[in-house]
This record gives sequence, C-alpha cells and structure tokens, in this order.
Amino acid sequence: MAKSKTIKVDYLARVEGEGALHIRYDDSGVHDVKLKIFEPPRFFEAFMRGRDYLEAPDITARICGICPVAYQMSALHAMEHALGLVPTPELRALRRLIYCGEWIESHVLHIYMLHAPDFLGYDSAVAMAKDHPKIVQDGLQIKKAGNALVRLLGGREVHPINVRVGGFYRVPGTTELETLREQLQQARALAEDTVRWTASLPFPQFERADGDQYEFVALSHPDEYPMNEGRIVSTQGLNIDAQEYEQYFREEHVEYSNALHSVLEQRGAYMVGPMARYNLNFDRLAPRVQRLAEEIGFPPFCANPFQSIVVRSLEVLHAFDEALRIIDDYRPPSEPFVSGTIRAATGCAATEAPRGLLYHRYSVDDAGKITAARIVPPTSQNQKTIEEDLRLMLPQFMHLPEARLRARCEQAIRNYDPCISCSTHFLQLHLQRGAGALG
Amino acid sequence: MRWMVISLGDRFRGDDGVGPLVLDELRRRYGEHLEGVENRGDMTQLLEDWRDRQVFLVDAVVAQDKSAGEILRLDGLTESVMQSVCTTSSHGLNLAEALELGHAVGALPERLNIYAICGENFATGDGLSPQVAASARRVAKEIGEHLHAQTGGPFCTSNP
Repeated sequence: MAKSKTIKVDYLARVEGEGALHIRYDDSGVHDVKLKIFEPPRFFEAFMRGRDYLEAPDITARICGICPVAYQMSALHAMEHALGLVPTPELRALRRLIYCGEWIESHVLHIYMLHAPDFLGYDSAVAMAKDHPKIVQDGLQIKKAGNALVRLLGGREVHPINVRVGGFYRVPGTTELETLREQLQQARALAEDTVRWTASLPFPQFERADGDQYEFVALSHPDEYPMNEGRIVSTQGLNIDAQEYEQYFREEHVEYSNALHSVLEQRGAYMVGPMARYNLNFDRLAPRVQRLAEEIGFPPFCANPFQSIVVRSLEVLHAFDEALRIIDDYRPPSEPFVSGTIRAATGCAATEAPRGLLYHRYSVDDAGKITAARIVPPTSQNQKTIEEDLRLMLPQFMHLPEARLRARCEQAIRNYDPCISCSTHFLQLHLQRGAGALG
Repeated sequence: MRWMVISLGDRFRGDDGVGPLVLDELRRRYGEHLEGVENRGDMTQLLEDWRDRQVFLVDAVVAQDKSAGEILRLDGLTESVMQSVCTTSSHGLNLAEALELGHAVGALPERLNIYAICGENFATGDGLSPQVAASARRVAKEIGEHLHAQTGGPFCTSNP
C-alpha cells in the first residue's frame, strides 16, 4: 500500500474570500481534489427581486470591493438589453475608460501584492517590500493611476457611484480627463517595466498534455480587446451571443462548496480570465503591447498558468494605452445618459471582469421592478479548472519538500486571482497524501 | 509643514461612518483650508496620500474591553496599531499592514496621530450610535484645536 501523508494549510492567504482546498494523493497519483468554498452564500440574486432596475448596478457592485465596476458594467448592459437602450458612442467610450481603471487597480494589486511574493519566495507583499522596495513603490504608483481613473469617472475609487443604466449620472469635461494624461503616461512607463520584470520571474514549468488542454473562453470583439462587449468564443470553436449563454453553460452544485461550479455543456471545465482573453484576442491588444510581447519573447498564446502574471501585466499596459487613446479622442456626450420606456422584459449581458467573463441576466416587470436575477462570476467558472490544474500538476511537483509543495499549490490557485467572495466567496488548504493519515 | 486629516470607513455602515463624519465636521468648520481625504478601505492609497504629510487619522474600531464611544489616541509611528474595522476585502491591507508596508518602502507620513473611536453598530445604514456621535464631536474639536495650535492660524475662522 502506498505510503500516505497529509499536507494541511488552514489558511491560504492572498486570495479574496473564505475557502479551503483538500487534496488526497499517494505515490500512485492524485485521488481527490476539492476546492471547498465555505463562505456563506450571500443571496444577492434573491434580494435583487423587487428592487428598481436602476438599483441593479449599485447593489451588485457591492458583491466585490476589488471589481465593482465589472458588476456595474454587466448589470448596465443586461438592463439596457432588456429595455432596448443603446448608449451613444461617447458614453460607450467612457464606460471603457472606467473599466480600464478597474483592470489597472485589480491587476496591479494582484501582480504586486498577491502573486509576485510567490515567485520571489516571500510569504507576503510586506516581506517582499523589505527587500524590494522599489518594485512595490512602482506597483503603488501604477495602482494610483488606476484609482484616479475610477475616481474621476465613478465618483470614488472603491464602489463607484456615478454609473447608471443608460450612461452616467455626470460625465467629465474634456479638461478633467486631460488632467489625468500626465499621470497615466508616467504610470504607463512603470507598467512597461512591470511587463519586463514579470517576464523575468522564475516560472514553474507546467503545461497540460494533449487531451487535457484548457478550453479558454472569453469575449471577442472584431475591433477591440474585449471589455464591455463581444461574442462569447472559445479555443474549441464556441461562438455565441450572451443571450445564448445559459444554453451552453450550466452551473452545478457540489456538496463541499457554497459556490456553484460552472461547466460547458458536454465539455466540462473551462478557463476564463486574462489568459483566455489574451489567447483569443492577442491581435487586438494595443500595437505597442503586441510589440513589447514580441520583444521580450512572450508568445501570443500562453498555456502555462503560472505565466498569467505576465499576461496580467500586458493587460495593464493595454489598459493604459486604451485609456490614453480614449482621452485623446474624447468628446463629451451631449447627455450624460440615454433613457427609454420601462417595459416588462428580460435582458442579459457578459462583460470582462479583471478575473474573466461575468454574466448577468435580469427580468423586470412593467414598473421596472426586478423579478429575477442571475449572476455568474468568473471564479465560479474557474473553480473546476483550478481543481483540474492541481490534479494534473501535482505529480510533476511531488518531489518537492512538503512546505514547497504546499506553497506551489497555493501559488497555482493564485494563478487565477480567485475572488471567492464574488463566487459566493479564504481558503484553507488540506493536502492529504494517501489514505487515512492526517498530520 | 502640511497637515492632513484622513478618515477611514464607510459612512453608510453605522458607526464605521464616524471617520467620514469627523472629516465632514472639520470641512464645515475650515473649508478649503483643510486638506482632507476620505478613504473607504483602499489602504494602498493611504501610502500615497499621507506621504510628506502630518496626519490626523480617524477610524472606527471594535475593542472587546472598550465601550462604544471610547476614544483611543495613538501615535501611529511608534505605537502598535489595532485592527481597523475598515477593510475593503481580504485582498486588501489593514492599517497595521499599510504602516508596515509604508515603513518598508519609505512611504510613511511625518507624523501620524490616530483617533480610534470604538463603535458598536456596523449594520448598513447611516447615523451613528449616540455615544459615538458625541465622541465624533469631541474628536473634531480636538483635531481643530491641534491644527490651530500647530499652524498658528490658517484654520482660524470667524466661526470656528
């Protein structure tokens, strides 16, 4: 009988929310991987019922303190789909601009504060900062620029309050946006340094074998790197409109998790997030970002999840280029929002949250009250893939000493920047080697 | 010497709003003379905001052996700081970690006077518990007097 052993981590830090991971394995292989999310369900979908359609963006924004704009954007687009509202191109550009701010804020927090310490052998960003203060200072400067964008467009940098169905409550003047240009340009230079730095990190080598390869799923738009709009496409040929999402994707309840696991019908696990967006939309990144990827030898298709930190840094750079482009082209909208007639209807939309595809569906009655809501966050969609990653990569890393093996598993989870709070919503890790033994 | 008042907390979460309400009161008294920042939980932003400043920071806390409205006064640069009530999420830093990070990267304020006011109700909604509201007024008055004494007048108005 194979010798049994358990590795147990009671608290996986540097992820959002509360959960646990249990892995049972022995020399013959990995027998069980469970990402256990025990943070209580928050019932957002239930308490949306009866609320006014205009409240959806601000209520759902409260699901997450890191990506509130994503929740606002998916809610807005879904409501506008239901009500037949089409915001003007100027409003559309402003929405893209605030999304750029959130991508910068969220990705930079993950790159510098949560994920980089894994690669450099530190248990926290604070410990890393003691040896690498300049790196962390740069990260803070970049994040500050993202905060400035969200604050200007959203009224404040955490849980912005200025977006509404149809547009914004208030739109900025040209001068207000221009005041950000210098800060964004300075931060962009640091973001470029970040790409070079992340690409130089020591990456664990892991790529899935044929037959186990990822199905990457992301939005795709013919003219731009996807944020607010596009068709839902995959590396295995999926190409659907957001209205068809529920025909192709199904959420399953698993007894050990308070978050539903999302699967593609008849295909199973899939991956959303920066790697999926990048792999499916490389040619729509800003030209300077594509050139930099080529210059540093980073391929246009990334299959090693540990390199997601590089992809995030490339997306940060793209967000700066996109933000500067939008500011350069900005024409203030004639009206801050468009409005229409309230009607009983159902609408849905998917946008690209920093962590990946975020789907919302709402039904409203003829008084504009919400009668049904459905929200599928990116971490729910990635849970099964995280479990599969651990199952597939563990044999490759079993030679590592126990502490390093445990750390590698945590690092692998952080590849996904999981937001457990969004998906239900901290993580305990139990690595059990063989049958029976605990220790 | 540049003074700044920073509030931590969410004004719509009961007693967690004590920091923003102290800041409101100081702004009402001193208008544009007051450099104030309302921080809703992004501690990394603190490291940028308080750089090169002398800071009064007001926050709500929960302390098991303290009663609502009790005011704890700390020198944030020399004394250990308790867990703030104000956290964006487990993704973010708490105030003690922000101070440690600020120390590591050289992003600390020149002075940091912390007023931690003990709260009891952090449910969604506006309004402070009576004891916390009384402490908010006392802290606003105390900070105003400090600023006046330290700056020698820019905060002095005809209706202080």
